[in-house]
Amino acid sequence: MQVLNRRLIRMIWNTRGQFLALIAIVMLGVLIYISMTTAYMNLSRSQQSFYQENEFADYFLHVVKAPEAEIKRVANIPGVVQVTGRIQKDISFIKADGGRGTLRLTSYKLPVEGELNQIQVDSGRMFAREGGQGIEVLVDPKFAAANRLKPGSLIKVIAGSREVSLNVVGTAVSPEFIYLMKDSASLMPEPEEFGVLMMPHENAEQITDMQGQINQFLLKLVPGADEEEIKEQAEAILEPYGNLAAYNRDKQLSHLSLKGELEGLRVSSRFLPLIFFLVAAGIQFLLLGRMIKAQRSSIGVMKALGLGNMRIVMHFLSYPVCVSLLGSLLGSIFGIYLASIFSQMYAMFFNLPASIGGINGTAILYSVILTLLVGISSGLLACRGILLIQPAEAMRTAAPVGGGSIALEKLSFFWNSLNSAWRMSLRTMFRNRTRFAVTVLGVAGTVVILLMAFFSSDATDYMMERHFSMENRYDFRVTFNAPLKQSDITYWQQWEEIEAMEASLQVPIKVSKDFSGSDEKIRSEDDSLQGLRVGQKLLGIYLADGQELQVPENGVLLSERTAKKLAVQVGDWIWVESKMGVGPSHQARLKVTGIPQALLGGGSYVSLETANRLLGESRLFNSLLLKIDTAKSEQFKNRLKNMTAISSVLSRTKERANWDKMMESMIFFIGVMILFGGVLGLVIIYNSSLMNFNERKKELASLRVIGFTRQEIGNLLFKETAVQAIAGIIIGLPLGRWLGGLYIGAVSTDLYTMPVIIYTQSYFIVAGCTIIFILAGFGLVLPKLKQIDLVEALKNQD
Amino acid sequence: MEKPVLMRLENISKQYHMGEVIVEALKETSLDIYAGELLVIVGPSGSGKSTLLNLVGGMDKPSSGQIFFNGKELSVAGDQDLTMYRRQEIGFVFQFYNLIPDLTAAENVALAAELVEEPLTVDEALQGVGLLERSRHFPSQLSGGEQQRVSIARALVKKPHFLLCDEPTGALDYQTGKSILGLLDRVKNMGTTVIIVTHNTAIAAMAERVIRMRSGDIIEVLVNENPLPPERIEW
Repeated sequence: MQVLNRRLIRMIWNTRGQFLALIAIVMLGVLIYISMTTAYMNLSRSQQSFYQENEFADYFLHVVKAPEAEIKRVANIPGVVQVTGRIQKDISFIKADGGRGTLRLTSYKLPVEGELNQIQVDSGRMFAREGGQGIEVLVDPKFAAANRLKPGSLIKVIAGSREVSLNVVGTAVSPEFIYLMKDSASLMPEPEEFGVLMMPHENAEQITDMQGQINQFLLKLVPGADEEEIKEQAEAILEPYGNLAAYNRDKQLSHLSLKGELEGLRVSSRFLPLIFFLVAAGIQFLLLGRMIKAQRSSIGVMKALGLGNMRIVMHFLSYPVCVSLLGSLLGSIFGIYLASIFSQMYAMFFNLPASIGGINGTAILYSVILTLLVGISSGLLACRGILLIQPAEAMRTAAPVGGGSIALEKLSFFWNSLNSAWRMSLRTMFRNRTRFAVTVLGVAGTVVILLMAFFSSDATDYMMERHFSMENRYDFRVTFNAPLKQSDITYWQQWEEIEAMEASLQVPIKVSKDFSGSDEKIRSEDDSLQGLRVGQKLLGIYLADGQELQVPENGVLLSERTAKKLAVQVGDWIWVESKMGVGPSHQARLKVTGIPQALLGGGSYVSLETANRLLGESRLFNSLLLKIDTAKSEQFKNRLKNMTAISSVLSRTKERANWDKMMESMIFFIGVMILFGGVLGLVIIYNSSLMNFNERKKELASLRVIGFTRQEIGNLLFKETAVQAIAGIIIGLPLGRWLGGLYIGAVSTDLYTMPVIIYTQSYFIVAGCTIIFILAGFGLVLPKLKQIDLVEALKNQD
Repeated sequence: MEKPVLMRLENISKQYHMGEVIVEALKETSLDIYAGELLVIVGPSGSGKSTLLNLVGGMDKPSSGQIFFNGKELSVAGDQDLTMYRRQEIGFVFQFYNLIPDLTAAENVALAAELVEEPLTVDEALQGVGLLERSRHFPSQLSGGEQQRVSIARALVKKPHFLLCDEPTGALDYQTGKSILGLLDRVKNMGTTVIIVTHNTAIAAMAERVIRMRSGDIIEVLVNENPLPPERIEW
């Protein structure tokens, strides 16, 4: 039926503004859906295949040092399929500028095939067992790039107290090093400072002086194996060798980070497009409903001519189908482009084997189906009206709209204070409840999207503020290879660059709740303990409510994370066992005097004396917190370069600079979110204002005849827009806050808890931005006021 | 007794562009309108009577010629000035009443009252059309005649110089139409200039002057020395 198709094109042309606006919203929904789903699917797929191909272990056991022969015993534990033993140890390397960094030396038995946590060469070639050319090593690609290492470069490391030069033969990736951070206290990867050094096992034995020994067991388990049971048996076997840690994949740092990222993408890719599709559905429903009402008599004529309901419904349904198809086409094109930006960003932060880009047909197919469903279902709802139209009746004039009292009038005090214009606006809104609701929800959706954009930036900013200004007040943290005596401090005290200095003793520990006598099964958690001087100044420790805590003379400030897991409260007693890696492990019973909250990393705190007592030592420390005269910071760094006893130097300024760099990519996404939210707000207001205007053209023309100026008519229409906007903002702000909390709950990992922080000013900025977008949407309708034809008012009804 | 001239139309004409066709809605015409008179303009569809009414009401500007209202030239006034003119000087009564459906009778009147400095009170206006007791009803709850009365009250509340009525009885039955005409006659007797545009030649009997139009031209201006009271008009 070509005529109806031509009629459809005219229908689209006559409502072209709204048609384009609808396409814009559908396009944004599809764009977000496709870009995020594609990124999610690509990242997740490449994670899975990478894990599988390289036999990523299920379980990890760390000991101080064990004979290789123990591999067999661990492998015999029921539920264990395979065990790989290896050496992994952090060693210092000397950077090109003479500074120190840390490399995670990891050993691989040759051939690597058949072992767990295999590596995949990314560039260069696989290392070979030492021949005449010295030790061959591979490093991770990010580290190589940051330190400008190429196949053929040499890298100097400190083994024991010797300097050893190693031959870099290439770069390699492994499932355990995808997102590479030194430890859970790190903010982000710092490839200049920290990387992975992969080498043949024999060479690692040499360098670490661990002939015939290993310190890590990687386990592959049968699916559904009882991890707790296996852990108990393995720890029993390895007890003589000093158990340091036992954990599954979910606590593996790289896996955890990647999981958090994937989860964030998954949640966002479902939630954000939903807002756009719902608004699109709402607008299509209203628009189509209005068109059907306005074309009542035409529909009557079509029916009188013998066109069936089905044919007419299909004719009107073609409109939302066009919107859906065009919207998904444009959304797919831009979505694929945005997905490639995502992929580039991931490639920047993740050590993954190949490019993770690529067009995802499934995502595109899903989005087309989804938009068609949205369009057709909202269209069908609106088309119900067609079925009710009787030809003879339809060709007569429709009954005039009936005004009536609304519930609000019962508030007589309020109602009586309103002028006629306000009463008219309120009653009109009430009469068009569906439109009002769709518009309010659309504005609320805009507010939610804007708030989410600000929320991620506020929460990060708050975290940074806490991390850099409140918690860590030192400029440098220098960590030593081995503990130093209190007397060694005098050496440092001579340095003129140092303004303040505090010693710290960091001890990895295992914590369990003291049940003294009860039969409850004893659970333990790994944690890190830091001994500080009582009255410490260079490190701030805070309660969740922001109150500052001091290190207690005798008790322990137990990290919130551990306290939660063990259900420990202030006043309880806990057992703390040291896991130092050297010397025997010691235990101490300590009273919990506070439970501080750290948003990043964090750990537990005791006094320096308590920490020493735990190790059966006195007056030891293994790291120094330093505050440096800023003018002499270069001089200080140069001095550090010549010291071999240092294992790592953490510079806060550098950390901050790295962080700011990462924030730049975040700002891009915040900008994009604001833009998308803005388009949503603009379109929803444009649509509802235009519909309002079109429906009331005649009424407005009469008012013009009576003597209303154009501006007064504009004000009249704006009252409705303003009420909808304010209602939307009032609903949207708390809704956004609430959804932010849900989002955080969904994506929080053991690694870090993002606080649900939205600064007060952000609420105002979001409200302000929303108002601007709303004014812009309303502004697009204003020129129409010029089209009001006064003579229209004199014409017959309809 | 000669009444003073309230509006003078001098050689005005009006052409509309309807696509590529130029429609001559009003040929060169001159007319004086006197203060306080009841003028009826009659003629068939397309005779130019509505165009004339629109020009008098400041809803449109002539293509040529001049219009003076109280000595001030209206034909050169800008859009803003015309709006102010309509606001202060004109009360308009539509064939289909054009009340705001979301406002009660009283509120419809109040909306117009809010436009001018010294309006009648809403109650006075509604009392004047005999609808005070229905003031809280919405248009959909009123009969056609009642709606037209509200519409007249809305026009009068601004105390305009002109009351312009476009087919005021066109949508009403015979009895109701007559009562509306009676109301308009009373309005005239209170000093307002009333202009009624209609197909219905019978209404001309109540006019002091009747203007007959055809094809954009005034073909006759008839002075009626003895206007009939509306209740005696029959059609």
